[in-house]
Amino acid sequence: MEWSVYVQRSMNKAAAAESEKKLPRRRSLVERCPYLYVLPATLMFVGLVAYPILWVIGESFRGASGKDFVGFSQYVRAFSDPVFWRVLLNMFYWGAITIPVQMVLGGSIAYLIERHTSRSRTFFRVMFFLPVVTSVSVVSIVWAQMYAPYYGIVQEYLKYIGVQLTIAPLGEPSIAIFALILVNIWQWTGFSMIMYIAGINSIPSELFDAALIDGAHGWNLAIRIVVPLLSPVTRSLLLLGVIGTLQTFPIVHLMTGGGPDHASEIFGTYIFKQGFVIGDSGYSSALSVLALFLALALSVLQIAVLGSRLSPQTRRPAT
Amino acid sequence: MTAAGRNVSAGRRIVGSAFAKRHQLRPSFGFYAKIILTVLLALWMIPEVYMVSVSLRPPDKSFDPSLFVLPITFDNFATVIHDNPLLRFFWNSLVITIGTVLVVLVAGSMFAYAASVLRLKKTMLIYIILLTTLMVPVASIVLPLAIMLKSFDWINSYQGLVLPYAALGIPYAIVIIKAFMDDSPRDLFEAAMIDGCTTLQMFFHVALPLVKPALIFVAIWQFIVTWNEFFLALVVMTDSEHKTVTLVPMQYSGMYMANPGALFAILVIIALPLILLYIFVQRYFIAGLLSGAVKG
Repeated sequence: MEWSVYVQRSMNKAAAAESEKKLPRRRSLVERCPYLYVLPATLMFVGLVAYPILWVIGESFRGASGKDFVGFSQYVRAFSDPVFWRVLLNMFYWGAITIPVQMVLGGSIAYLIERHTSRSRTFFRVMFFLPVVTSVSVVSIVWAQMYAPYYGIVQEYLKYIGVQLTIAPLGEPSIAIFALILVNIWQWTGFSMIMYIAGINSIPSELFDAALIDGAHGWNLAIRIVVPLLSPVTRSLLLLGVIGTLQTFPIVHLMTGGGPDHASEIFGTYIFKQGFVIGDSGYSSALSVLALFLALALSVLQIAVLGSRLSPQTRRPAT
Repeated sequence: MTAAGRNVSAGRRIVGSAFAKRHQLRPSFGFYAKIILTVLLALWMIPEVYMVSVSLRPPDKSFDPSLFVLPITFDNFATVIHDNPLLRFFWNSLVITIGTVLVVLVAGSMFAYAASVLRLKKTMLIYIILLTTLMVPVASIVLPLAIMLKSFDWINSYQGLVLPYAALGIPYAIVIIKAFMDDSPRDLFEAAMIDGCTTLQMFFHVALPLVKPALIFVAIWQFIVTWNEFFLALVVMTDSEHKTVTLVPMQYSGMYMANPGALFAILVIIALPLILLYIFVQRYFIAGLLSGAVKG
């Protein structure tokens, strides 16, 4: 038992005794039952997160109509569904490309901004972050227009550097997913940057002094000193990146709808199609459970192996 | 007590900027760094510039495959503002977003207070369970949420979005606020207890002022995320009366297919408020970050 709790108890008793003597003030409900502080967050979790998860698990054992019990057959169906494997492959590409590219780009931008700018620092910080605050539906339509054949500026400007695009990036099954990944990188690099900016600023300056005195400069300083010191940020970006990958939806839904011919299908679009367009709630639920399982398994794996945190500042072990 | 709080955050800020001030490298490389950043930024801004550029084009030029086209015209803006009830969508988004931010701040800070300051039994266990929310893809629970909201008759209602958004946002808010409370000097709370504060008084007069940067950070981040959320809004807001701002481009992209100038004017109108808001509040957002919302 924490002594502070003991103190609190005795203080409460004393306060109660005193208030009884002088002004008989009733103790409010929350003083008598402090768990009321926990209640709103917990209720919201139970009703709007836990219950839907349980529901979706239950529903995944049912048929298309949601009535008859079909055991694991929806899962069997998923594993023999080529589109499901396409989804997994696309999700793998998505994570394997966006996460490291955003880290390297965002980290480099953050390093250059924090170390080498002074008056223009705020300007650069804000500008590189703008895509993050630009609505994703706006971003999707602008990029779709840029990628468009004939009048799109992407193919037009690629000509200047000698690349002749003969296909429309979003219409070609083999590259559609990569065209979408580029949009995602563009939108979210600013987030990696801002996280690294926070990380760089929390490095004690004594460490830099020591490194500079020891003769570390330029690349040496960046790679040998800064990168290792930023590893908590890198680890949380990895965790957030994996979760973010499985969260992906609007960019794909708005730009290709998972097409052409399921080539850029991801969990979000496929679950949406099965659940809301086709109306097969059983299969949609099975896919949901698989996505959920993947997200939890990968997160737990990272937390166990790398010690990743959802936010790097929870560095202390929880007590 | 507030003075102590201010000192703490001032101290953090000094640590934060000391690095920047003390470690200006040789000016030569700094010069190249600025050039690299400027070139990269110019490339990075192409989509944003293109968006504005298309919105300013007359109809006959709007399909020109170039970044800049002259002359510019504001006709598109006049047309779309005149023809469409855009204000309605902003109102919907604003109500939903502010509602969500408030619920997240209240429920998140209460929970963080119980777990970090009051240290009630079992709150750490509940905390860890709540954190799993952050690993749940929205896609996985969108179907049951839609069915649930339908059975409550909450489809096309503000609470139909506010409550799910809040439920998904609260755990992250708790992480941030709790970390700030964990870092706060414990003596302050003990002193408050000895002075006979009730837990509620301590919550409002000690805990919340101490974690103000965290609250501001959470509010700004939650605002951005909620304002731009797409998937749940798509499923919950089915009639055009209740659509939020992020759903609007989809609605108009068919309608203005042949007139990208007008469509892009709508895109600019939709993107601009949040961009301006961010520019306005970025100072507090960054301050929250640097004072420990995210530590390396």
